[in-house]
Amino acid sequence: MAAVHAWRAARVTPLGELHSPPRMTAELLRMTVQVVLVASLWRGLYAASGTTAGLDRDQAVTYAVLATLALRVRNLDQFAGRDTVIQHMHFGTIVYWYLRPLAPQRYYALRALGEQLYGLVWALAGYAVCLAAGVVQPPKSAAVAGVFVLSALLGQWVMYYVMLVIDQLCFWTLRNGAAMLILIFAQNLLSGVYAPLWFFPDWFITMSGFLPFQATLSVPLSLYVGRIPLSDAGAQLLVQAAWVVALALFTRLLWRRAARRVISQGG
Amino acid sequence: MSSEAGTLKSRPGRPGRPWKAVRIMWRITRLNFRAQLEYRSEFLMMVAIGAVWQVSVIVFATVLLTRFTGMGGWDSSDVLLIPATRMLAHGLFVLFLGRVHGLGRHIQEGVIDTYLVRPMPVYRQLQLSYFPTNAIGDLTVAAGLMVGALSRSNLDWTAGRITYLVVCVLGGMLLEAALFTAVACASLRFPAADYWGRWLEELLGTFGSYPLNVLPKAVGGFLTFGLPLAFVAYFPAAVLTGHGSSTGVPYWLAAASPLLGLAAYLASRLLWKWSLRHYTGVNG
Amino acid sequence: MSGSIQVRGLSRTFHTTVRRPGLAGALKSLIKPDRVAKEAVVDVSFDVAPGELLALLGPNGAGKSTTIKMLTGILTPTAGEARVAGVVPYEERERNARNIGAVFGQRTQLWWDLPVRESFAILRDIYEVPNAEHRARLGEFDDLLELSSFWDTRVRHLSLGQRVRCDLAAALLHDPQVVFLDEPTIGMDVVVKEQVREFLRHQVEERGRTVLLTTHDMTEVERLAERVVLINHGRLVLDGTLDEIRRKFGSTWQVRATLADPHARVEPLEGISLLRREGPQVVFGPDGPTAPTVHQALKQVIERYEVTDIAIDEADLEDVMRTAYVQAEAASSAQAEVPSGAPAGGD
Repeated sequence: MAAVHAWRAARVTPLGELHSPPRMTAELLRMTVQVVLVASLWRGLYAASGTTAGLDRDQAVTYAVLATLALRVRNLDQFAGRDTVIQHMHFGTIVYWYLRPLAPQRYYALRALGEQLYGLVWALAGYAVCLAAGVVQPPKSAAVAGVFVLSALLGQWVMYYVMLVIDQLCFWTLRNGAAMLILIFAQNLLSGVYAPLWFFPDWFITMSGFLPFQATLSVPLSLYVGRIPLSDAGAQLLVQAAWVVALALFTRLLWRRAARRVISQGG
Repeated sequence: MSSEAGTLKSRPGRPGRPWKAVRIMWRITRLNFRAQLEYRSEFLMMVAIGAVWQVSVIVFATVLLTRFTGMGGWDSSDVLLIPATRMLAHGLFVLFLGRVHGLGRHIQEGVIDTYLVRPMPVYRQLQLSYFPTNAIGDLTVAAGLMVGALSRSNLDWTAGRITYLVVCVLGGMLLEAALFTAVACASLRFPAADYWGRWLEELLGTFGSYPLNVLPKAVGGFLTFGLPLAFVAYFPAAVLTGHGSSTGVPYWLAAASPLLGLAAYLASRLLWKWSLRHYTGVNG
Repeated sequence: MSGSIQVRGLSRTFHTTVRRPGLAGALKSLIKPDRVAKEAVVDVSFDVAPGELLALLGPNGAGKSTTIKMLTGILTPTAGEARVAGVVPYEERERNARNIGAVFGQRTQLWWDLPVRESFAILRDIYEVPNAEHRARLGEFDDLLELSSFWDTRVRHLSLGQRVRCDLAAALLHDPQVVFLDEPTIGMDVVVKEQVREFLRHQVEERGRTVLLTTHDMTEVERLAERVVLINHGRLVLDGTLDEIRRKFGSTWQVRATLADPHARVEPLEGISLLRREGPQVVFGPDGPTAPTVHQALKQVIERYEVTDIAIDEADLEDVMRTAYVQAEAASSAQAEVPSGAPAGGD
């Protein structure tokens, strides 16, 4: 039973995308332009200086381009599908989530999984092209590649929970569109999408060490470019795993409270 | 709907009508502000998050400058003027004209149809549709950054320079408004155009803060003539700091940035007027 | 009792924040909100038998949707109990979900970006409906609702009528014993409305489903419901058949006749009074509690007098309900002064 219905819920996003080719063309164009811009920006910045913050030019470009690609994994035009929590709250259709013999948290997880797998295909395709074009460097060794894959997986898992928390907030603050944008901005900044965290002052790096955001992208990408040596990888993976556990418990609590809220207010 | 200029301007005979329009706008804005207060947790959260955000933005803006001194041949105190100008222009845009961003979603809910039957220009109604609480945060950050940039600057801030800076900030605001208005025009026809709006915001945020001469010629050219974000802050800052002749475009063009912003905004309003005339409503 | 609904003393109180007027008030509310209790549903009891269609009526804000939400398990009552097909919905939400189907007005449960048939497939898997059964049921729904002409279209491109028809089908795909419909035909054209009514009648009569329906469309009530429950201000006002409601609130017909002999003597008939006379034109109306129905009155008038022309003005259900709502309003404001708080009208 579970496999079939899981598959149905998971494929909602890819199917919706496949039904609107203009959206896919737009995505392709955006990804291409963004990669070209990001790569030339970092090359330009490094033109006048050598190794900075422990990153040389190629490492920095690789890091920045991979971050751009990784963003595609979970950065789809979610509103187009009208299946976000905030929209369901707005249109009052959240009640249907609680009217089905499938728990809302399970449905949400399946949808997100499908979305992330779909995004992964994009990211991998982009990675292959960038690798072939010499924009990004290949990993230094098979061990680095292996650790990176593991870390990236954990990173996406943490990312899922971070996005989930942002969505769950919608159960309490119906109109938190702006707040969501700011949180997404914080996620991007603190995960190292805009600039590798290594460039930031020490106190900033220390602070972000206490937050889950850097576990999503900064850690796996730093492992990939070799800014975090393999010898430290074990500890980093443990921290990522700890975040997964902590956020899993926290979001479970939030789901329970959200259900109580829906049930006490009627959605 | 035929006259986007609206009823207020269409009766020029009566004195005091513009004043009345301003009064109405002020009253609606006050109501909107109060509406923001209605959502208690949201408002308080916005204030709290705004504070965190301020810190991170300023950190971000200064990080690259301290790491990459001499970026593009600019002194780092001069470079700081670019993000400061851009962010101040952006903050003002969000406060005064920001509602054109993300219009597609509202269009699908049929708001334009509602606006069209009211005796006020649609564009103005749109801008008055809610109070942008986040602009408070935007402007606070931007003002702080501008103060920082000015205090570190070695330039002689004569009245002329200051005036030019103010004009440039306003020009940058108008240019950003023009770009988003153009996207909004597209969303009148294709609600999915919101997607491009979000990308535009991302591009402006990411690439608006650097001296663009660090980029390859083709890329810099794209950000000047394709997507004219160079005119928002880079060219004005270049002119102010004496890099005006090394931007890759003629000096007069760089210096005329604010004028270009104004022209772009007016053009975008014409486009809006045209698009509104061809607006066919949402289906269903 | 499969497919039955039992409601006993169901109540629901909401707590909301009152806003103070003015900017200063808004700021004050931000710091110290004022909370008040509002009773949305008060001590409501009724039963629906398996295979019965019951219309839940009442003016806007009467508590109909709140009642439906409690019966679907989305809302927990503050007091009382409900059982739907033997399950307490708000205690065993998922078990209840398998027994019920629901449509909430214009809110669609379909996936906005996908062709309708994909939505059906997702629901099939969520409810674990066997494939053959799914196909058969889809075929049946298609015959009644003509879905196949647009079920390959994406939901965002459907018209309202098409979408609501799809939503109805989606709610019934898993063969629920009990169906809740909160204003299903709101905003639809007459043709689609008729189609939907036909569909609902089929579901009740042929498939034996229990249907609880709220609507403001009295034609719908007349065509579909044998029994109605009327609530107002969250309280049950009346539970009975349409005839009972008519008798209680709607005895206001008129028979207008043109007599062949303008000078004929006219006298009141049994249970029928003479309201007006202008030359050959006479108008009769009901008289007292023993008044006949309008059709009986028509017969009596024709038998008794020689008429050249005759017409009836029957108070339609709209009028009846208007009277009912207004009287219920008066009753409940009188009620408010009685501290005991027994349900008005009772059952």
